[in-house]
Amino acid sequence: MPKTLRDLRPVRVIGIGLHPYQRASDTSYVTLGLRAVREALTDAGVAWTDVEAAYNGTALLGMAPTRAMLRHLGATGLPVLQVENASASGSSAVAQASLAVASGVCDVALAMGVDKPGMMNVASAKAGVRDLSGSRILPFTHFALLANEYMRRHGARPEHLAQVAVKNSRNGAHNPYAQRQKARSLEEVLAPPFISGSLTRLQCCPIGEGAAAVIIASDDAIRRLGVPADRAPRILASVTRSERVYEGARNFDAELTRETTAQAYEEAGVGPEDLDLIELHDAFAIEELLYVEAMGLCAEGEGAAMLMKGDTDIGGRCAVSTSGGLLAMGHPIGPTGVGQICEITRQLRGEAGPRQQPDARTGLVHMVGIGAVCVAHVLQL
Amino acid sequence: MSDARAAHPGLYRIDQNPPSLLGQRCAACGRLAFPPNPYGCEGCGAEADELVTEEIPGDGELAAFATVHLHPGKDIETPFTVGTVVLDAGPTVRATLTCATDDGLAIGNRVHTQLVPQQSEDDGELLELRFAVEKS
Repeated sequence: MPKTLRDLRPVRVIGIGLHPYQRASDTSYVTLGLRAVREALTDAGVAWTDVEAAYNGTALLGMAPTRAMLRHLGATGLPVLQVENASASGSSAVAQASLAVASGVCDVALAMGVDKPGMMNVASAKAGVRDLSGSRILPFTHFALLANEYMRRHGARPEHLAQVAVKNSRNGAHNPYAQRQKARSLEEVLAPPFISGSLTRLQCCPIGEGAAAVIIASDDAIRRLGVPADRAPRILASVTRSERVYEGARNFDAELTRETTAQAYEEAGVGPEDLDLIELHDAFAIEELLYVEAMGLCAEGEGAAMLMKGDTDIGGRCAVSTSGGLLAMGHPIGPTGVGQICEITRQLRGEAGPRQQPDARTGLVHMVGIGAVCVAHVLQL
Repeated sequence: MSDARAAHPGLYRIDQNPPSLLGQRCAACGRLAFPPNPYGCEGCGAEADELVTEEIPGDGELAAFATVHLHPGKDIETPFTVGTVVLDAGPTVRATLTCATDDGLAIGNRVHTQLVPQQSEDDGELLELRFAVEKS
C-alpha cells in the first residue's frame, strides 16, 4: 500500500525566514536568497552545517542557481536540487524536503524559493498544440473570464470580487515582508486601470522579487538540536496533483483545487471546519472566492457572502491570506509557496503580531501553477 | 482570396461560411476534442493514429466574455473582447469575438464562427477565426 506523509515519521517546520517581496531591483538573487536562509537558520536556532539537504523552488532564474548561492553559507557538500513547478515551485520544494525528512534519508532539510522577474519561458508554448486564443488570453484574462461566469451564475457583483483585494490589502498592511503594504478602500480597488474584464490593477497580484526559506526537521533532530517543539508545527499532509479531463465541468481550476484539498484533508485527518486559517493562490481576486468554495469552506456560490460577513477576516471563522496573499504580499513565483508556509507557521506559533488570527491551531496552504498543477499542505501545532 | 490562408493553420476551414472548426474524435474512447494535437488522446491515452479529424460546426453559446485592455502583442489593438464558447457539438473553446467591446453582450447569447481578414507581414491575406455574437 502506498503511504502518505502522515504514515511516515513526523516532520515539522522549525525555522522560517524571508527577504521582503519587492519590485524588481539590482539586488542579486544570491543576496535575496541568503537573507531568507540566514533568517530561517537564526529563527530555528540551528547552524548551516546542521542542514543535510536543500530544495530550491525557482522558475525564472535559469539553470543551476542553487549552489552558486548556498556556497556562501559554507560549501558543506550537501545535496542541492532546483525544483520547478511554475507558481507552485516553492510549494513543491517544501513537498520534496518534507518527504526527504519523513522518509528518514535526512533529519534536517532546507526548502526555499527565490526568483527575480525575467522572461517567462513557458514550455507548453513549444508543445506544438496551438489554440485559437494564444497570447490573447493570458492568466489575467483567463481569470477575468472565470470572474464573468461566476458573477453571472451566482449574482455576485464586481464590488464583491474587489472586496477580496480590500481585505487582503488590509492584512498586507501589517506584513513587513509584503510588496504592497498599503490598505486600500473599495473605491481604490475598483478604480481603473482595468486590466481585463472587471479585473482592475489592484485585483491582480504584483510579480516582483524576493525569497523565502523554511527549515524542516524530524523529531530526532529537534531533540538533538534543542529546538523548542512548541514553535514547530507538524506538516500533516502534502498533496500534489495535476489537472485531469473534467468533462462537463465549468471550471477546471476549481475542480483541481477541490480534489487536491479533499485529498489533503483526508490524509491529514481534518476537515474544512477544523481550519483556523488558509493561505491560498489569490493571484487574481476572483480566485479566492472560487477556491474557498472548492475547499469546502462554504457552499458553491456563497464565497462572496462569507467574505462580506467577515468570516474570512482576521478574527473570523477561518482567516484567509493573513499575509496579504498574493494580491498584497506579492507573487515572486519561486518564493511564494514557501512564504505561505512561513506565514502559517508564524500564525500557529502566535507570533504574527497585529495580523494574528486568534487561537490558530490548524492551517491549509494552497498553490496553483500554470499547466495546471496544485499543491496543498496542512500544518498543525 | 486565392492566396488567403488561415491565421491558425489546421484549426478551421477557410472555404466555408460559416467556417467549421477542425477537431479530433478519438476512435478508442469517442472523445471529441479541440484543438487537435499530433500526439495522443488526453481522455484515454490512445496514440495519434486513433485521432480522426472531425469537422465541428461553428455554432454555440457564449459562456463568458472579457474585454482585454492590456495585451503584449501587436497582432490586435486593445480593447478587444474574448469569449468562452460552448459549442453545440460539445467542446468548449476560447477565441476572440468580432466585437471590440462587451457592449450589449450577455452570457447565453448564440454565437457563430466568422472569418476576419488580417494583413500579414508578407502582404498575403490571413483569415482569423472569431466568434460573432447574436446580441439579444
